[in-house]
Order: sequence, then C-alpha cells, then structure tokens
Amino acid sequence: MLARARTFTIDGLRARPVTVEVDIRPGLPAFTIVGLAGAPVREARDRVRAAVLNSGYEFPGRRITANLAPADLPKAGPGLDLALACALLAASEQAPAEPLERCALFGELGLDGELRDSHGALAVAEAAKRAGLRLLLGPGCAREALLVDDLDVGVVERLSSAVRVLAGGEPDPLPEAAAQLARPQAHPALDFDEVRGQRHAIWALTVAAAGAHNSLLCGPPGTGKTMLAQRLPSILPALSRAEAIEVTRIHCGGRKLQATGLIGDRPFRAPHHSITAAGLIGSAHNGWVGEAVLAHNGVLFLDELSEFARSTLDALRQPLEEGTVAIARARHRAVYPARFMLVAATNPCPCGYAGELERCRCSEADMARHRRRLSGPLLDRIDMSVMVGEAPVEELRSTPYATSARLRERVHCARRRQSRRLREEGVLVNAHMNARMLRAHVRLDDAAETVLTDAHRQGLLSARGAHRVLRVARTLADLRGEERVRADRVAEALTLRGDALLCNRRAA
Amino acid sequence: MSSSCATCARRSELFVRLGVALDLRARDLGRLWKALELPDEQLISALGGRKRQELRSWHLSAAGQPPESATSGIERVCRHDAGYPSALRRDALAPHELHVAGGTARLQELLGAPAVAIVGARRPTDYGMEAARCLGHDLAASGVCVIGELGEGICYGAQLGAAEAGGRSVAIAAGGLDSCAPRSCAPLGRRLAATGCVVSELPCGARARMWATAARARSVALLAHLVIVVEAEQDSSELAAARLASARGRTIAAVPGRITSPASRGTNALLKEGVALVGGAGDALDLLYGQSPPDTPPVACSDERPVEQRLQALLRRICEGHDTISKLEGEDEQPDRTLCALAELELRGLVRRGDGGRYVPRAVTFYG
Repeated sequence: MLARARTFTIDGLRARPVTVEVDIRPGLPAFTIVGLAGAPVREARDRVRAAVLNSGYEFPGRRITANLAPADLPKAGPGLDLALACALLAASEQAPAEPLERCALFGELGLDGELRDSHGALAVAEAAKRAGLRLLLGPGCAREALLVDDLDVGVVERLSSAVRVLAGGEPDPLPEAAAQLARPQAHPALDFDEVRGQRHAIWALTVAAAGAHNSLLCGPPGTGKTMLAQRLPSILPALSRAEAIEVTRIHCGGRKLQATGLIGDRPFRAPHHSITAAGLIGSAHNGWVGEAVLAHNGVLFLDELSEFARSTLDALRQPLEEGTVAIARARHRAVYPARFMLVAATNPCPCGYAGELERCRCSEADMARHRRRLSGPLLDRIDMSVMVGEAPVEELRSTPYATSARLRERVHCARRRQSRRLREEGVLVNAHMNARMLRAHVRLDDAAETVLTDAHRQGLLSARGAHRVLRVARTLADLRGEERVRADRVAEALTLRGDALLCNRRAA
Repeated sequence: MSSSCATCARRSELFVRLGVALDLRARDLGRLWKALELPDEQLISALGGRKRQELRSWHLSAAGQPPESATSGIERVCRHDAGYPSALRRDALAPHELHVAGGTARLQELLGAPAVAIVGARRPTDYGMEAARCLGHDLAASGVCVIGELGEGICYGAQLGAAEAGGRSVAIAAGGLDSCAPRSCAPLGRRLAATGCVVSELPCGARARMWATAARARSVALLAHLVIVVEAEQDSSELAAARLASARGRTIAAVPGRITSPASRGTNALLKEGVALVGGAGDALDLLYGQSPPDTPPVACSDERPVEQRLQALLRRICEGHDTISKLEGEDEQPDRTLCALAELELRGLVRRGDGGRYVPRAVTFYG
C-alpha cells in the first residue's frame, strides 16, 4: 500500500517542500530510501524503525520503499524523520492516511519515539504557511514556529501523539510563550560611561550608529579602539520584529544553532583576522553562512583591518554595495541577506605610531604598503573615519561623555526621522541613500554650499567623497532634529570624512 | 643640440660596470669621493679586482666609439660641451657627463638663475615635510632654481612644492632616466621633466645603486649657490651635501627644529656651528642676494579673512604640538564643536592632515 506525507528540507536559509512516499508490498523484508538522501536521512531508517517499535506500533516485515520527491533536490538534515515514520505507519494502516495530505511534519526522532529539536524550524514554518498546511513539530521547534503569524501549529512530543493528532485528537500543550522582543542586552556591562576621554570618538560612533554609516577607527595601539567598538551595540536601536525574525532565521538556519526563540539583540560579529573569504561570506553548500551574513541587521567589526587578507576584504564589496551575498559554486547557488554596518579598526602604520618620530620606525615604503592594504574598494565604502589618539592623562580622570542609554535615545530619535523621510525610497537609514536620494533629501543652506565648494577647492574632497560627506551631514542634522543641513554639520562631517586618516603627507 | 664626447660617455659606462666595487665604498663618503676623482685607468686598477684585465681591454676597444644614440626625450651633455653647467666643469669630483630629461637648453636656462638646494632626511616629520614644501614652492615662485635629489623625504617635499609653483627645479636621479627609483617618485619625476629638468650622471638602463644614490649629493652641492638643510639626524649621510657644499665654499643654511626631536638634531647642530638660520623663503633670498626686498609677502597664501578668536586658541594648540583630536578636545567643550572648528581650520588652509590623520600646521600659519 502507498502513503504520502509532506515535509520540508533546509536549502540555504530557505525550506523547500519534500513529499515522502512510502510503498509497502510483499517481498523479502527490506527498507530502502531513494531520492538524493544525505547521510542523516539515510540513517533515518534505523531511527524510524526503533521509534516505531518503541512507540508500540508494528514495523512491517515486508519490502518498504521510501521515495523523497523531488528526486533531484538533495535532502539534508534529520528533520524528515517524523514524516517518514508517519508515512510508514499510514502505509501499514496503523495511522490515518488522508489527514497526512493536509499536514506538514517536521522533526528528528529519538529511538524512544520522542521528538528532538532540529534547526531551521522558522524557515519551515514560513514555508508551511505559504503552502497553506498545518504544521506538526516538536515542542523545541515550536518556539520558533510560533513566531510566524496565522499558522496552525500542532505541538507533538512523541510519535504516538503525532498519530493521535492525525486521527483527530488534541495536540500536546504549547510550550511557554515565545521569547519577547525586549530581551536584555547580551553584555549589559559594556557601556560608554566606562570610557574616559575620547569624547569625539564616542560622539562619532553615535553618529555612525544613527545613520548606520560604515566607519573606520584609526589610532595607535592601546588607545581604546576595540573598547569603543565593543560598546557600539549598546547604543544601537532595538531590532524591529521583522528584522528580529530575519536574524533568527539566519542564526538558527544557517549556523545550525539550537532553537532559542526570537533573537532580540542586534548581532555583533567580530571575526579574527585569519578568517577566509568563505568564512566571511559563507558557502553555498549546505547553507553554511559566513560572518557577514550573521552580521545582517547588526555590526560586523573587523579589528586590525590591515591584517586581513586582501582577497577576504574584497569579498565584502558585494554585501557592502547591495546588502546581499550571492554565492555560486559548481552545484550550488545561494543568495543570503547581508546588510550590516561595518566597523573596522586599524593602526595608522605597521608599528602604530605614525607621526610620532621617537616611536615610529616605519619607512615611507612601509607606510605606502600599509595604505595600499587598506585603501581601494573597501575604503570607498567607508563613510566616516574616527581618529582615536592617546588621551592626555587628565582626560583619564575626567567625567565620561555620556551613558549608553542617553546616546541610544538620541540614535533612536534620529533613526525615526530617517525612516519617516526615506519611507517611499525603500531604505531605512541615511547610509543607504544613493546619489538620487541624496539630491532629493539633503538640502543644504547657502553657507553649507560654500563650505563644500571650499573643501573641493582645498583638495579635501573628491566627487565620491562629497557624497559620503553629505550622507554623514544628513545624519548629523537628524541627530539634532534639523530639516535643512547647515554649514556646521557639513564642516563636522568633513572632519569625520572617510579618507582623512590615511591621507598621505606626500599627496596632501 | 649638445651631446657628449666618446671619452665622457665611456667614463659613465665604466661607472656602471664598476657598480659593485663602488657600492663597497658607498658607506664611507670620503673614500667614495676619492674614487670618483680618479682618472679612468687608475679607477680600473683600484677597483677592477679580478675583472681588471677584461675592463682594460674593453676600455681600449671602446675608445673613440661615439656614444649610443640617446633615448627619446633624454639629451646628454659632457664637460667638453658648452652647454655643460659651469659649476660642475671646474670640479674634478663632478660627473663628466649628464643625462637630462627636459632638455639641455632648459637646464642651462634654469641654472642661469641663482640655485638653492633643499636637502634633508629621507624619513622626515610632518613638520619637515611642510617646511620643505613651503620653501620649495616659495623659492621656485620667486624665480630661484630649486635643486634636489629625486627621492623620498625632504627632497620630495621640496620638489613637489617647486612643481606646484610652476616647476623651476632641477632634480637629480640616482639611476638611468628610463626608469625611476624609488618607483613612488615616478609621477613627480614626469611632472618635473615637463616643466624643469631631471638629471642623472648614468646612462639609461643603469640601476640606481647605493653608490649612485650617495654620489648624487655632490651634484646637488656643486650646482647650488645655497644649500638649505631642512631636517636631518646628527652625523647622518643626509648631511653629506651640506658638508661638501661648505667644503667647496658654498653658503649653507638650516631650518631650526625642536630640540627634543631627533629628526632635527643635525640641523640644530649646524645652527650651533654658526650656519645661517632659514625660517622661510625670505631668509633664503636674503642669503642669496644679500639684502631684503621690502616686506616680501608670503607666496603660499590662505584666504584673507581674519582668524576668529575661538579658532585662534585651537590653532595655537595645534602649533604647540597637540596633533590629535583626543589631545585637542576639552572636557567642557562639546565634541561636535571641536570637530567643526577643526574643519574650518582645514578649509581655510591653516592646518592639514598628516600621517595617521594628525593635524599639522601649514607653513603659512607661521608667517602670522
């Protein structure tokens, strides 16, 4: 006899529908699975057999063929166990076959018939909603699936409860409500009020956070570049619900993390500089996502930027430009979202003390090499650079500039103004404005125009650099709630311009 | 059009062939100068080593052969030609032949004016760079010929300044003129060849060897009427041109530096010995012409607006050496106001960003 069950397999960050067909007919006892099954799916045979027997059902001693359709889609992951077991029970007339057509089943089975958590439940739940199916899955996965609105989720704790629900019984009780958005910060201890001195750097990071501008921190070793960058998440606005769901999908689907419910913090990823290009953007095979994708909607922090391999940094061009990563390999292709705010930190020269003759021992050639490593396409996409110099001793005893809570409030207000203004354009923050949007939304007053002309005349700005300055100036005006961009804002943005720190005394 | 005679061309070729042996003497400039003064035969005996015989036979066979036709755009002139700089012809140490990009006629015209050499450290501070550039610019704009090496550091700054002022300058390259060493100077070399002259004593194809890099200091010293040292460490080879110039009776001068800066120890020591102090192009012109033209205006001019009080205070702190924003910001001032004021100073050309984004006062601010 033949039975069909419906489930999903995870391909990249998406779930693709899979139909499990089980056919049982007389013959020598055998259990074969066909249809490009990966190792976890092939091993499902033994798990399903034990789970069926331990749940008190009979395992048919005949020839069993399971087919996973479509036949050309590779299936991975153990989430197909439940569908396979239910289809088998339906084919051997131990479970109703007809309700299986209207349900999607997802979950890994233990040998005792209990359902385990498996990754990618959120993507499966979204796909089930699109397909208009009821979704049966384990209690752990249900916490993620419940984030999808208007989806009929049935929680089943064991194989026997799944059969009961299919026969029209009541599902098991829901686990406690899915985690709410306002979760506490991962590092409540990190706050800008611990930083002494560097007031301009804190202010500059506030500006960067407000407009999501990519920024570069540059200064000698030990001046607090890393300390400042690590405190950036404490002033970023909270994730919206849609953003949080995106982040959860990436973290739980792409990195095979256990289901933990909704992720409420903005991601802050700080990979070590030995990372490879594949580690940074991910690989198409098996949906393994890289750090740039994990930083989606959050911050990607690259400490010691000059130590990263050039090819690795070049891989960031596409995500910085388009907000997505498209990976194509021999047999796989995947597009991942990757719209993050880039924060990089670097020394101004190989030894770090450029400009201090007593300490810096780098030759002109060393400096040129260092600049070459940093400059180019990546630097073109950095709106702001922040100079973090050594703070004088008396500054170290001074009062802190501001608490993170106060700064976050300002950032939040500025972001609200931006999203209101840019709503029709399809972007949320000033950093993502293109040249057309700049013309439409950045209105300078006469004095500000003069400042910009002066900057061109002094050779401080290129045409592309002017766009970056305008974006930052717009954010500075937003932070103060001004509609027109005044001359002071343009001047301030000029001091923070992206290439100022790597300018070269020869070309100056 | 001028050209070189066979004897002088053969001598340059001999220098190329003896490159390795000359390199061994390059660390001790006294020995190098002695070697460079020797006539051809003695030079082969002294430095030829195992290749002595081979070199002698080449030397004989090459006698009387006309020099190869020059690469396009590069002219050669030797000390038997009327177009050869007279300052070099009188000195045994000077090169016998020059290869000139930019034309020998222009070289003659440029050297007709008083010539000032600007020399100094290969790894200068931002202050030294600014001073060199400002001197190069102002002197070239005053009709003086600026002479210097084509290389990194102070000489780069001086030549860049001269190029910006219209390019009345002569740059001495170390190797053949078909390539440029260091390569980073190639764009400046091309720019100078268009308006001034780039000169080398070695034929095209010759590598910029260590000895040639050191030996061009003699051309710089001999061509100039006045040698200004902008920044140099004590007892460094960077002072070679100044020492040689002073031995040959040229005027030398130095730009003072901070007493705490190792980059200025050499120049400060020169000042202590009694050389003239140069604080701007005006001082250099005084040394050349002996009298001050009535109040020379600084040539590198920023705009005329007076600097406001709040900017004055900030500018003063930058001039005192507070070069990073972290040092410049005050506890009682909002950081955005500091950032804004710094941009204004930069826009008005009073400061610029140096290495690592540090703030460097432009030389024009010193004129007050």
